[in-house]
Amino acid sequence: MLSEKQRLRLALRRGEVDRPPCICPGGMMNMVTHGVMQAANVFWPAAHTDPGLMAALSAAAHDTGCFENYGVPFCMTVEVENMGAKVDLGDAVHEPRVSGYVIESVSDWKRLPPMDCARGRAAVVLEAIRLLKARGSGVPITGNLTGPVSTASSLMEPTVFYKELRKKKQDAHDFMDFVSEQLLAFGLEQLKAGADVITISDPSGTGEILGPALFAEYAVPALNKITRGLRGAFPDAGLIVHICGQMRSVFKPLAGVDCQALSFDAEVSLREAKKNLPGKAIMGNVSTFALEFAEPDKIAAMTKLCVENGADIVSPACGMGTGSPLPNVQAILETLKTAVPIPIKAEAV
Amino acid sequence: MSEAEREILDDLARSVLDMDEDLAANAAQRAIDAGMDAQRAITEGLSRGMEAAGKKYEEEEYFVPELLLCSDAMYAGVEVLRPHIVHRGGGRGRAVVGVVSGDTHDIGKNLVKLFMEAAGFQVTDLGRDVPIEKFVEAVRDGAQYVCMSTLMTTTMPGMERVIQRLKEEGLRDRVKVIVGGAPISQAFANKIGADAYSASAPDAPAVLMRLSAIPA
Repeated sequence: MLSEKQRLRLALRRGEVDRPPCICPGGMMNMVTHGVMQAANVFWPAAHTDPGLMAALSAAAHDTGCFENYGVPFCMTVEVENMGAKVDLGDAVHEPRVSGYVIESVSDWKRLPPMDCARGRAAVVLEAIRLLKARGSGVPITGNLTGPVSTASSLMEPTVFYKELRKKKQDAHDFMDFVSEQLLAFGLEQLKAGADVITISDPSGTGEILGPALFAEYAVPALNKITRGLRGAFPDAGLIVHICGQMRSVFKPLAGVDCQALSFDAEVSLREAKKNLPGKAIMGNVSTFALEFAEPDKIAAMTKLCVENGADIVSPACGMGTGSPLPNVQAILETLKTAVPIPIKAEAV
Repeated sequence: MSEAEREILDDLARSVLDMDEDLAANAAQRAIDAGMDAQRAITEGLSRGMEAAGKKYEEEEYFVPELLLCSDAMYAGVEVLRPHIVHRGGGRGRAVVGVVSGDTHDIGKNLVKLFMEAAGFQVTDLGRDVPIEKFVEAVRDGAQYVCMSTLMTTTMPGMERVIQRLKEEGLRDRVKVIVGGAPISQAFANKIGADAYSASAPDAPAVLMRLSAIPA
């Protein structure tokens, strides 16, 4: 039988697997719920700032039978905090969030300090990855990066940011280049620390918000700068990109994103995604709304539908709420293990 | 309507649709100089442009950056006209908008505010990450509509708590509660006892007007 690491590795490369793996990468795609916190007896917000607690909590999301990976951190504020944003770490229920911006305009980007991965919560994340690696459990570790548009629009007021993408193009491009370089540096450190996969989640850089033209002009090159840099240094690293929202208008530019797997929100038809994105593994997309508010049998049905529609990797569709009951979350993996008898055919090696 | 008036109103509408702040301010000044009623210049000029922009948004021709720039043009025109408005705007009622506690995603909320102001509502913006009691206080202070949004499932229960608190304070019957945001649905609105759900920002004013039987 395939190990969890082998199965994920094969699924990312669209090789032949016995069944799709079930992962939740971490970062914006947070893998931790209140049930997981109780099982580990480790709670937010303490786990956001302590590498031992962060590693233990992430491991609990695996060990309670929720997911077949470890994934840190549990939020999308690590990078911007390192570059000077004020962050409210939230509580046991609510995710950390940005409470103070650093710059007023894209033109001010030169005032931003480069990321220093040796300090703050960036260092906590790297140490947590090393601790998870040291477990020697063979569970794949997913490191995470906040996507370039989401990072940029968390360093300044997003309303101004979105307008300046049209009004101050040169400065906006320079700002995005700077942000992408910082994210690349943090991603490389995560791989060095032992991460097997890097997931980039860019909920603010969607086609729905930007439209296809600005998505192609800003989001795609910034994502590629990061993924190509990561692959250049770590050719074996798994690379997943998650984009929120409806995709129909941006399937074309999305096909140009250089990564192994693309992950989608619940409203995206995986069948349509597969058709439009040949050569990519498709990941998704069990509704996080259902995970929080429905029953396990509904989750089982949704999981089967994901597989039938061609999901190479099954995962929650977006950031999972901490109130999602454990039996709901466990139902995804349980269903994959027991109810999907048909092996997925390799389309290409 | 005279030819000259028609031209000014068309310029006002076009300035918003074309995201042209200079034209908006210029056409607004021409409206004042021509002795046009300032409220009329807003309703039949700038607001008409914003409605057209909302249509382009729903048809996926405009996206968030374009709408935000249209709104800048609209407010550039409103700034010039505001001192000349005889009767204060907000004739369609007083509303508060806000993103519920725990969530800071406010682009959608800002767009709701924009379309509601364009439609003639008097809107108070409570901002983002708004504590439950602030919504309750706003109703106590006379808000007729409470519009809440969130982008995250974690913070959805906050909407229900606002409604519960309004009931506890005996304020529920005074106010219409409208909810929206990516994870929100009509079913969720029904479940928590909201009066309505608005699927998109440009729809919000129409939803409010239907609730209160205000003629469009």
